[in-house]
This record gives sequence, structure tokens and C-alpha cells, in this order.
Amino acid sequence: MRVTLNWLREFVDIDIDAEKLVELLNFSGTKVESVRTPGDDLHGVVVAEVLNIEEHPNADSLTLVDVRTDGEEQRVVCGARNFSVGDRVPLARVGARLPGMDITERKIRGQVSRGMLCSGAELGVSRDHSGILVLPPDAELGADVVPTLGLDDTLLELEITLNRPDCMSVLGVAREVAALTGQTLRRSESKFDTPTDVGSPVKVAIEDSQACPRYLVRYIEGAKIGPSPQWMATRLLACGVRPISNVVDVTNYVLLELGHPMHAFDADKVANQAIVVRRARKGERFTTLDGVERDLHRDDLLITDGAKPIGLAGIMGGEATEVSESTSNVILESAYFDPDTIAFTARRQNLRTEASARFERGMDVEMAPVAAARAAQLMSELAGGRVSATVLDEHAKRLERVKVRLRPSRTDKLLGISIPPAEQAERLRSIEMEVSDAAGALDVLVPAFRPDVTREVDLIEEVGRLHGFQELPSTLPRGAAGGLERYQRAERKLRQVLADLGVFEAVTASLISPEDVEKLGLDESNPTRRMVEVANPMVEDERAMRTTLLPSLLRAVALNRSQRSQGVGLFEIARIYEPTNEALPQEGLVLAGAFSGLRREQEWTGAARPWDFFRVKGVLEAAFEGLGLGPPGFVPASGMPFHPTRAATVSLGSAPLGALGELHPDVCERFDVAERTLVFELSLAPVFEDLPERVQLQEPSRFPAAYIDMAVVVDDAVAASKVGDVIARAGAPEVVSVRLFDVYRGEQVGDGMKSLAFALELRVEGRTMTDDEALQVRDRILPALQERTGGTIRA
Amino acid sequence: MSDAEMRQNLERARREGLEAIDAATDMASLEDARIKVLGRKAPLSRARSGLRDVPEEQRRELGRVANDVTAEINRAIAAKEKTFMATETAERWEREAIDVTLPGEAPPIATVHPLTKTIWDIVDVFVGLGYRVAEGPEVELSTYIFDALNMPPSHPARSSQATFFIKSSGEEVLLRSETSPVQIRTMESQEPPVYVVCPGRVYRRDTQDATHLSGFMQIEGLAVDEGVTMADLKGSLEHFAREIFGRSLEVRLRPHFFPFTEPSAELDVLCFKCRGSGCRMCKQEGWIEVLGCGMVDPHLLEWVGYDPARYSGFAFGMGVERICMLAHGVSDIRMLWDNDVRVLDQFKGGAT
Ligand SMILES: [Zn+2]
Repeated sequence: MRVTLNWLREFVDIDIDAEKLVELLNFSGTKVESVRTPGDDLHGVVVAEVLNIEEHPNADSLTLVDVRTDGEEQRVVCGARNFSVGDRVPLARVGARLPGMDITERKIRGQVSRGMLCSGAELGVSRDHSGILVLPPDAELGADVVPTLGLDDTLLELEITLNRPDCMSVLGVAREVAALTGQTLRRSESKFDTPTDVGSPVKVAIEDSQACPRYLVRYIEGAKIGPSPQWMATRLLACGVRPISNVVDVTNYVLLELGHPMHAFDADKVANQAIVVRRARKGERFTTLDGVERDLHRDDLLITDGAKPIGLAGIMGGEATEVSESTSNVILESAYFDPDTIAFTARRQNLRTEASARFERGMDVEMAPVAAARAAQLMSELAGGRVSATVLDEHAKRLERVKVRLRPSRTDKLLGISIPPAEQAERLRSIEMEVSDAAGALDVLVPAFRPDVTREVDLIEEVGRLHGFQELPSTLPRGAAGGLERYQRAERKLRQVLADLGVFEAVTASLISPEDVEKLGLDESNPTRRMVEVANPMVEDERAMRTTLLPSLLRAVALNRSQRSQGVGLFEIARIYEPTNEALPQEGLVLAGAFSGLRREQEWTGAARPWDFFRVKGVLEAAFEGLGLGPPGFVPASGMPFHPTRAATVSLGSAPLGALGELHPDVCERFDVAERTLVFELSLAPVFEDLPERVQLQEPSRFPAAYIDMAVVVDDAVAASKVGDVIARAGAPEVVSVRLFDVYRGEQVGDGMKSLAFALELRVEGRTMTDDEALQVRDRILPALQERTGGTIRA
Repeated sequence: MSDAEMRQNLERARREGLEAIDAATDMASLEDARIKVLGRKAPLSRARSGLRDVPEEQRRELGRVANDVTAEINRAIAAKEKTFMATETAERWEREAIDVTLPGEAPPIATVHPLTKTIWDIVDVFVGLGYRVAEGPEVELSTYIFDALNMPPSHPARSSQATFFIKSSGEEVLLRSETSPVQIRTMESQEPPVYVVCPGRVYRRDTQDATHLSGFMQIEGLAVDEGVTMADLKGSLEHFAREIFGRSLEVRLRPHFFPFTEPSAELDVLCFKCRGSGCRMCKQEGWIEVLGCGMVDPHLLEWVGYDPARYSGFAFGMGVERICMLAHGVSDIRMLWDNDVRVLDQFKGGAT
């Protein structure tokens, strides 16, 4: 919403500077987004008349234009053709300065151009670059365009919140300014009445008084359609509205000034001059004045001529009854429509206008006759129309003003500051609330332009903001027993441990495309392929809530690969969304990782180390250890998206968590990541359920342990973990740890065999274990190994 | 042997012994010299054995001289030994020297994501004030998003222009546009006092640009208790802003509008780059808008079954990306979601 200072001054005296005004408005809830005086950046641009237009001899797209200012003639080269001889246009003379442009005499394709004709965009009054800004015919020749276009007026761009439709007008902002500066608002309504002896042939009927409580018509006869005067065009332009013609501009001007949307119909195009306000019928269609033919819904409210629609109520008029150059008689509509009715239609039709934006927030029903009178008066002044004295005011349903009781003590209690009741009453009166004392409370009659105020708390807000939030003291509430849950602390630690192990945390989007999941090549029956989909995605690629983090992580790996990174390890902890039979999906937290290229580049202390299965597995093992959990179990697995012989399922105790493995080469190719990229994805719910209690210290033994090594030769197909388990079990209780430290394949063990070397730590309670005892344990393990794994001891 | 001869022999043994020791060039030749000078066949030993034949009255004096010579030679050997040992140790240190300027073998270290860090920082401030962390569904019932939050069916946020609806749910299920439903669910599940912060993902149909994504992170907070005031809101958020953006920062509450709070406000902090004079970061305003907040609307309290006459509260909500971008000078939100290691790598430092 834009207003200018001079326009505001018509309603309220402003004796503070713009900076102070901005501060006051900011602290009242009407945020000033920018303050500028457009003319400050324009020097040397004057009004000129076009005398002659001829073709440029050397360029098809250019013309040579002779212009006259006050007695002086110039020839300029011009690229636009939207004007004709006799028009008044802005001329930037040689030496003029525009934003980002200094005008000099120069040759364009062999022709000297002494200056430049300016577009609206170049002058900063519109976004229109396509043509020269044609000025009104009464613009004074040779005059500086800055005052002519009103560009010396300071423009405030305001952010009006949804609850304040009353501030969507110069009058409304002026009311705020008056309240904030202690000035009086000028509302000179009486002068708008201009009775004539013209009758009004119009008849009005409201069929739905809930949707249209009030419909008022003024009739103007014999209007002469033409351009608006400069002062009006200037203000419209400054506020971002394109001038069209005097009659249409008047409705727009009053809309900006008083905030009340109106519509002008060409009376002669409205059959029988009859207005009937009703809901649309099934299958009814209607072409609005933007040229779009619209399918109407039965809840849409229409203005009709009794038979066919002539307007989409409160949103936009119809093409067929639009005011045009040939219009002479005008039906001026000033109505009040139900906010929700307008909101739903605007949304259904995807059509938002200055009018709908106001009606759907709630207009001032009492403003309808005031705005109509003001518009009729202006039409009479500017278009020479004669206004009928008859005001057709169908007031089908009276909207009562709201009465609210405010307890001043309640204000103090909610805001945490003490404001005397007298001041509270005064604050409310300053914004035109009618306040009367009622035994320790204030009874407040809320004006019709404040639909947002219906409860005591709304009045407290008004008192608070006008008193000033900056006056509030800074205190703290008493608080409660705060802190993080154990699983929340564990989740933090898991992220930190993984990062400390050299894996970067990634954050990727939850909305993905099912095609991305397809790339993983999962089985038809895999539940990961069933996704919750969004009905109205922004783009097709983001239409489903993910059931796996892998596609997003692989995309990030690919991005880093394209940046020539040597290698990357990424993890993410986020939710997946699994469809259920309930209304809401199941949202579960998962940990996923993706690893590609080098874990460490070559260093002077050692060779480069690529990410491989065991380095990723090691990271997981270390992370689980960091959470105080036993090592997860790994069982060979196959199936997409993994390499058929380099993947494992991962479990914790008896709970399956997910899988870890090298990606299948086909999957790598589909995601454009390097071969031998590894991933894992684990469900975290079982992990957080299994978190250990506080660590209980076990005192270290005072007696030294015995250590022995065992090299076990087994068939290559035997899992190392099985051999380790057999040793641990058969060696219990003396064997307290079994650590595999070497794997050997080759001549010394024979084809198809491998040697696994284990380091064992043995202890007995309460004394030192002898070497003899250690050897006895070893001898006890051997037959178990032979029996369970076919293993023998390597000499 | 005469007394004089004896004395001469001892003196010669002393002189020759010291010369031999002095001539030694390393530990081995010193040992050779030691044997030569102090060994059984050495002149000194022979001279000592000659003492037996010397008369009693002279023997004591000559014996003293012989002891002195022996002691002097031993001292010379010890001194020489010490020199040789020092040289050898020095040579070892030289041999074992390393270039301490070579790079260390640092284990690879990475970092948690800047958005995670930002969430932790914010959460920690409020945990310090006695809050807990609450979570809730991202795919949510419209009741919890709109009805409970005082947004009538005609509210613009309820349109399919603004909000993602789940397919074939009849607009009953949608992607939450705020984390506020978590507040509602929290209040439904317990009696006051409630002090919670709710971090999480939210979704809005915003067109992607440098400051907007259709999915992003938000943190909301809620305090409901007896006697909670707007002054409490101001004090709490001032504390928050100063913890995150700088201890001596000025902040201001500016009236605003949200459907679920009354009164509502926005919190601005004085631009920490230009300190109010206006710059690109603050769009020449001198102040930076940080979050929205307000006193919980009585409608919400009634909705969850709290008595608005007894309890009051405040709520606030902020975009995590926005806070992160402001705190770290990030100009494009997409940089935070690309996971380019060259970006992430820069966040290794910091206290969290
Ligand atoms: Zn700044």
C-alpha cells in the first residue's frame, strides 16, 4: 500500500519530519517499507509538445521527433511510436540527469539527438518501458516534470497487515497518524452532496442479504469520457495505478483515498437499468473485463441485470458493461459484500484485485454512501456528468456495531505494565472508538471500519500498540524444569560423533520425486516405493514425501563430484514418511550416509585411503560405541540398490536397523556418482529405545592378563565373525576379548582357504593367569573351532 | 729405591698417565688408556707395589702421594668420560632430529550442518530459561494447523496457493506450514505450566529464490503459565537475540498481526553490520526483522481446554535459515541446502 505525504496532509496536519513519521508508524504496527521522493533523482526533464514525427533514414525501428518546449525546438531520436503529433511528452534535455543516466548530445545512426523522450519506467512512475509516457494535454510546456508528475511528493510504501483493512486507504493511514501525533482527523463528508434534478432509472434488488447486506447506486447522466487531469493521474501513478479514463480513474482514486471499492457500469449496456444481486446458477458462465470467460460456482456472488451477469461481486466487473469512450450514463455501485463470500470466489477464480483484497478483509459498511457521494462529485467535476439526487440505498441487512467491555486491569495484567484507565480510554478514543465508563470498566462501541476488534483482548492490543511496546519493561516468566530428553541428547551426540569422525552432516529436502526412488532399482514389493504424494506440488520433481534419504544424499554426492571434490562422506538424520491406513503417515527418524572417493588424500605419512566398506562400517561401529551401545550386527545381504556381494544388513541386538553396502554399479551410473560409492540407511527408533543407562564403573583388575595369538585356517566361505564367536564362546569365561588382526590368503594356507589371526586376552578372577593355564584354554578352544568351523590352527 | 727415585717414578706415572688419558679420542681409546695407566702392569701400580720396600716413616708420605696421583688420574678419566658422553648424546639428538613444521597426521574431521548448529544454539538459549523441546508430525491434520490456530476457512493460508495438500485427503491432511500444531498438541497433552520450543521442517508453496524454499526449518516457542505477560515476552526475546547476535545489541518489538496471537509483534534487532546507519544487509532500514511473536490468543487456550482467565502465554516463531543466514552472512538460502563441502567445511569452528 502506497500513500503520499501531500495526500495524507489533506486529512491531517503533519508537523513532524518524514523520519519521525516513519518511526511512529513503525511502532504503531503499520510498517514503512520504504520512503522516497522520486523527483530527487530527476533533473532537467521538462514537458514538451510533439511537432513532427518522421522516419529515421538509417534505422527502421527509430524515428526523428521534433519537439517544442517553451519557445525552444529540439530534434531527438526516439525508439517508441506510441504517441502522435500534438501529444505532450517528457523531454530529458541535454545535461539532464536520470537514475543511472546522464543525457548528452549524441549521434544515433548518423542523426544528432538533442535529448531523450522518457518512458514511465525511466522517470520511475511506472514499470512501463515499452512506450513514451504521454502527459495530459494541460501539462504546461517547458515546466519541470517533477512537480508536474507530483514526483516531489514523498511516497511511503506501507506494509498493511491482514487484520487492518481500514489502513488500506489514505484516510485510514491519516487516522493512524492523527492518533499517533495528537492531531485531529479531517473528514469533510458533507461537501460531497451535489443534488441535481436528474432522476435515477435504476432499480436494485438483493436476493442474498447475507452475502450482500447493502447495495447503493448513484446515477450519473451525460458524462464525457476523457483523460483525467494531471493531478489525479499523478497520484494514481505514484500509488501504482495506471490511469485509464476520468470515470474509471475516479473509482480508483476514491478507492485509494477512502478505501472503499466501487464499480462504474455503462448504464446503457445494462438491460433495463436493473440490478439484481444473487448467487450464480449451476453452469453459468461470465466474461470479466480482463477478457477471461469464467465458469461460475453456485457460491459465487454476482451482480446481474436480472437475467445475465454484469459483475463478479466485489472482485471485477464484466466486459460487456465496461465503461468505454462512448459511455455517457454511468451506474456507480457502492456496496458491502460478505468477506468470506468474496474470499472464496477470489480463491476459486484465482482472481485477486484491489477490490477483492479489501472486501475479503472486511469493509466499512458505513463508508458506502460516503464513497459514492465523493465519486459522484468527482465525476461531475471531471467528466461533466450530472448526478442524480436519488440515492438508491438497498440496506437489506443492518450490521450492528460491536460493543466490547474492557477491564483496564486486564490490560495491565496481560501487558505487564500499568496504564491508567483514563489513558486507556483516551487511546481508544484517538482511533474513533466510542468509550463510556461502566463501573470500573470501559464500554467500547467499535466503529464499523474496524472488523478486527471484537473482543476485550483486541482492545488491549490497541491500547498496547498506541501506548507503545517500547514502553514495556523486560522481564522473564518464572520458567519450569527445562532440559533435553535423553534421546534428544543422544541424537545430538550421534550427529557430533559422526562429524568428528570426518563425515559431514547434510540437510536435504523432504519432497522428492518417485522417479528418484525408482533409480534405486528396488523390488516391486519394496515398501520404500509407496509414498505419500502432494496434491498440488510446485514442481513435479518435488511431489512425494520421501521414504528414503538416499536419493537426496546421492544428489549431494554428485554435486560435490561435479565440484571436483576428491571425496566426500555425508550423513543425514531426518524423517521418512511411510503411508499407513490412518489419516497421517508414520514419520520415523532415520540415519543415512553416502560415501564416495577418498576418505583421506595421500599424505607424506601415508598413501591415499579411499572410502570402502570397512571404513564406512568402522565409522558406524565407532558411532555406536560413542552412544554406549554394543557393536551392531552385520549379516551378508544382497538385493538392490547394493553390489550383490558387498552389502550387509545391520541390526542392534535383535532389532533390524537397515543396511550398509557398496552401491550397485548401475545405481551409481543413474545417480551420476563414482563407482564404489557406499551408502547406509538405518532406522533410529530402535537405537534410541536401547540407550544405555548411566555408565557404571568396573574397576580394572590389579592382576595382569595373559595374551595369546591364534591363527585359524578355515575355508574362505566361513565368516570371520563366526570364527571369532566360536573362540569367544569356547574360551569363556577366561577369554575376555577376541580381536581379529590379520587375514591371510596364499600359498601357505592353500587354495580356497584363509588364515584369520586373532589376539586373545585372558584373565582369571583374583590372581594372575599363568602361561600354562592360558595354553589349557587354547586347547579347549581348538576342538570347538574344528567342530563348528572346520578350522585348524596354523603352526 | 731411594725416596727420591720413588717420588720421581710416581711423578712420571702421573705425567705419562695424564698424557695418555688426554690423548684418548673416544670412549674405547679412553678405556685402553685407563688399562694402560691404572692396570696391574701400569707404572703407577708398579710404583705402588714398590712402596712395600720403603721404610715405615716414608711409606705413609709416599702412599699419600700415590693416592693423590691415582685420584687425579681417576678424575681426569671421569672428566674425559663426561665429555665423550655429552658428545655422543648430542650426536644422537642430531641424528634423531625431525622437521616439526611438517603437517601433522590429523584424523579427518567434519562438522554438523550449520542449520543444525543454529537450531542447537537457539534451543540451548531457551533450555537455559527452563524450556523443553517438543516435536510433532510434519504431515498434519488441517484441524491442528488452521482451526486450532484461529484461521477461518477463508484465510489465505488455507488455499492451495499457499499450502501443500496431501493427495486424496480432501484437504484434511497437509504439510504443516508452521510448527505451531506442535504447540497445540503439547498443550492438549499436559496442563500448564508449558515452556517448550519446537524445531522442525515446515512447507509452503513459495517460489524458490535467494531467501525462499518450499521446505525449510522453523523454531517456535511457547510459554503458558499463570501471569505470563507481554513484558515477559519482550525480556525473553531480548535475551535470545543478544545471545545469538551479540550481547550489547538493541532490539525492538513492533506491533504486527498473526491470527494465533493477540497482541502480535515482530522483533527487530539493530543491524549488527551497520549499527543502524543502513546497509545492504538491513536493506537500508538500520533494523533487521528476526521473528514474529505475540500473546497466545485466548481462542487457542480455549481450544486446548485451558482457562484463559487463569492462564496466559506467549508464542514466537522464526525461520532457522534466516537466523543462520543473518548470523553467518549467508546471502543465498540455497547454499545451505546444497551440501557443497566447500560451504559446510567453513562451519567446523565455533563453540558448538
Ligand atoms: Zn545495516
